Amino acid sequence: MPKIQEILSGAAAIAKGMGVTIKEMMNPVITDDYPDAPPKFQERYRGLHVLQRDEDGLEKCVACFLCSAACPAQCIYIEAADNTAQERISGGERYAKVYNIDYSRCIFCGYCVEACPTDAITHGHGFELASFNTSTLIYRKEKLLAPLAPGQTGKVKLDHPVMAETGH
Amino acid sequence: MADLITLTIDGRKLKVPAGTLVIEAAKQAGIEIPAFCYYEGFSLQAACRMCLVEVEKMPKLQPSCTLPAADGMVVHTESPKVADARKGMLEFLLTNHPLDCPVCDKGGECELQDMVFRYGAGESRFTEIKYHQDEKQWSPLVYYDPARCILCYRCVRVCDEGLGVGALGLTYRGVAAEITPSHGDHLECDECGWCIDVCPVGALTSGTYRYQSRPWEMNHTGTICTHCADGCKTTLSVRNGAIIRANNRDRSGYNGEFLCVKGRFGYDFVHSGERLQSPMIRKNGKLEPVSWSEALAAVATKFSEIKARGGKFGVIGSTRTTNEENYYLQKFARQGLGTASVDHHRTGDVPALIDALSGKTDALAAMADLYQAKAALVIGADLAQQHPLIAYQLRANYRHHKMAAYLVNPGASREEQYAKKSVHAPPGKEMEAVASLAGELKGHEDLVVIFGASLRGEGVRQLVSFGDTLGIPVKYVCLVDYSNSRGAMDMGLVPELLPGYRSVREAGMEPGLALDEMLAAKDLDALWAVGANPLESAELASSAAFVVVQDLFLTETARRAEVVLPAQSAYEKNGTVTSVTGEVQKLKAGAKVMGTKADLEIMGLIAKEMGLNLGIWSPDKVFEEIRRTVRGYNIPLPVVATGGAAQTTPVNGRVPAMPRPEHIRPSGDTLFTSGTLGRYSKRLSSVMEAPGELFKG
Ligand code: SF4
Ligand code: SF4
Ligand code: SF4
Ligand code: SF4
Ligand code: SF4
Repeated sequence: MPKIQEILSGAAAIAKGMGVTIKEMMNPVITDDYPDAPPKFQERYRGLHVLQRDEDGLEKCVACFLCSAACPAQCIYIEAADNTAQERISGGERYAKVYNIDYSRCIFCGYCVEACPTDAITHGHGFELASFNTSTLIYRKEKLLAPLAPGQTGKVKLDHPVMAETGH
Repeated sequence: MADLITLTIDGRKLKVPAGTLVIEAAKQAGIEIPAFCYYEGFSLQAACRMCLVEVEKMPKLQPSCTLPAADGMVVHTESPKVADARKGMLEFLLTNHPLDCPVCDKGGECELQDMVFRYGAGESRFTEIKYHQDEKQWSPLVYYDPARCILCYRCVRVCDEGLGVGALGLTYRGVAAEITPSHGDHLECDECGWCIDVCPVGALTSGTYRYQSRPWEMNHTGTICTHCADGCKTTLSVRNGAIIRANNRDRSGYNGEFLCVKGRFGYDFVHSGERLQSPMIRKNGKLEPVSWSEALAAVATKFSEIKARGGKFGVIGSTRTTNEENYYLQKFARQGLGTASVDHHRTGDVPALIDALSGKTDALAAMADLYQAKAALVIGADLAQQHPLIAYQLRANYRHHKMAAYLVNPGASREEQYAKKSVHAPPGKEMEAVASLAGELKGHEDLVVIFGASLRGEGVRQLVSFGDTLGIPVKYVCLVDYSNSRGAMDMGLVPELLPGYRSVREAGMEPGLALDEMLAAKDLDALWAVGANPLESAELASSAAFVVVQDLFLTETARRAEVVLPAQSAYEKNGTVTSVTGEVQKLKAGAKVMGTKADLEIMGLIAKEMGLNLGIWSPDKVFEEIRRTVRGYNIPLPVVATGGAAQTTPVNGRVPAMPRPEHIRPSGDTLFTSGTLGRYSKRLSSVMEAPGELFKG
């Protein structure tokens, strides 16, 4: 009887489909619960930039302008300045007095990260950039810098072994 | 012309004069042979071994910087053997060279970087700890980092041979060898920064440009130095409207790479915190900032009122504003205000020279002539202090062509180092000393005479008649002090003369008051000072005078003014200026300072406000009018437009009226001072050599 056959094959198809559904229900969830829970990132996800610090908390950026030269969107603006004996900001001879990234232009290509000779600029995992006002999309150095780790002061004493060795 | 020989470089047959160095012959054919120590125009070193080339039939590679081209020579500049040798030399240079490129000012325009990029010696086989010496500050303007120095001696040679200063030398040996300033730990020199400019690497860095930027981050504008009258071309490097470096990249030949401390470092006045950025009007005895329209209206109303009642105007022009502005100002004064009292701070008697040379052609020397002349006679000028470019040209001429220099000065000057003869004569007694040199001067093929402001009026005529008795071609330079002093005179900013050395009587006027007379006139109704500071050293006798000042700073004169209008400096505007040798060159705006206007625009707006029709006030239009109407200024436009220097054809005829020579007041500026402007350049006064002294050698 064709009718019974139809019912049986329909039931089989449903059972097969439900099988897949039930099997997937048993598997771990791979979608994110954002915004109810923070999203998870792949290690190399290219999000908002972070300007890194060295072990002493000094800024790694030496204001070499290479990231800004590499940037195809020309969104990095830097002004360099001299480290002085009284005030040492970075490990090198110079530091970035001003370091801005214009996120209304940045295309998250990662060229700046590749160009950086001191591994100062990196892509972090920040992504919540949306704004009603594009002028707030220009992020200043203060906003991009990695926070100081506990115990770091961001200042180096002049008798620090590194300082003594290089004579700075 | 020496005999031509034929040689082959990289398969190309070239004809060059016998004795030409192979490196130069290659350059003429557009083949670049890399070199660190070779520097055109200076003594040879053959120390860096980068210019090694392969010459057929010679067993070893040859340094092309010391190898004279010979007939039939076959040279290969890029053979594998050559590339290998260069790579080897680079590896040696890098053994102790730090990996500083990211923080090194030279990065991006470093010759060592370029060479390593080209020949690839990036990987080092040297694993020992690098020998290191710390960076030193030699002066507020010059820093030296021995670790980066490749000992090419360019700095040593330009300072010694080029300038005659000789402030740099070499100390220690081997890896410890380094350049040392003659005063041990610091420099006492001209602070010209040329050593920094020629350094192929980042060993010498400038205290002002240091860490400011990267070469590719700046815009470059070729313009003319605004300090002395020598008219050096300079290239301003600008970032965000601010000048952060000046060096000359224009090779059209006027000053080569030369710049003195004022040209290279003295641009900081532009961004001085004391720049005026808003018009001001005196209200209740105090200068208060007001809008442009209010200030311009105030000037126009008052000028119109004084003009209507036939009041007495005094108009003082600038020695630094453009030819267009000077022309427009005198036109404004004579046609617009109806006054003949127009003057500027005169620093040399140019009209007397032009008058004395009447009937002669080719008697005014151009800057290039100073490098070619067989002999030079300098009268009353400490060239190294007052006219650095002229001093440099003469020294280069001596170095390359053994030019004979004769000096008649009140005291010692640096030119005595190489002068054939130097006579000390007090001002007023120069002509006797000059006469005593007649015998020797006659013996040369030609002569250029350079004289300062101590010779004026009759003195200049005596000098020219003396030149006539020598029987050789003589060319003259009448020294004036400021960047457009010559242009101010040419454009008729004097009571007696219209532009082009025509008498004011041609315009139906009698000569008006000279600068000093305006200040002394008790009944002066208005004083208009455009880029001038006459009250720096004098009082204004008329207490009721309405004073209008256009300037960059609140000068002594501006402090006395009723209306002050903030003007632009030469680095912020377009136009032309005329150098001490009468060569017209183009200014191009580089920097920007908010709130200011060019003097030409200010004058144009006042004219408009007064309802005067003085023509369009754009620099190009006014220059066109100058070319049409001012004698001598019908110069070829393309030369000026493309950044060249065009000498104004001398006015060949008697000058119909003589400005009175007693109103000439030389500025007395040294290498480290620059009139009122110099006071606002912190850098010029920051060096220990400032303020400098004349005739001390
Ligand atoms: S972030 Fe890196 S590449 Fe960019 S200026 Fe700083 S050191 Fe140079
Ligand atoms: S001198 Fe040149 S190669 Fe040396 S650190 Fe500076 S930029 Fe790099
Ligand atoms: S700044 Fe000029 S004068 Fe001074 S050491 Fe350098 S080249 Fe010589
Ligand atoms: S300081 Fe510069 S110009 Fe002088 S020797 Fe060293 S590398 Fe050459
Ligand atoms: S010589 Fe005169 S024109 Fe040349 S850079 Fe020095 S001050 Fe300027």
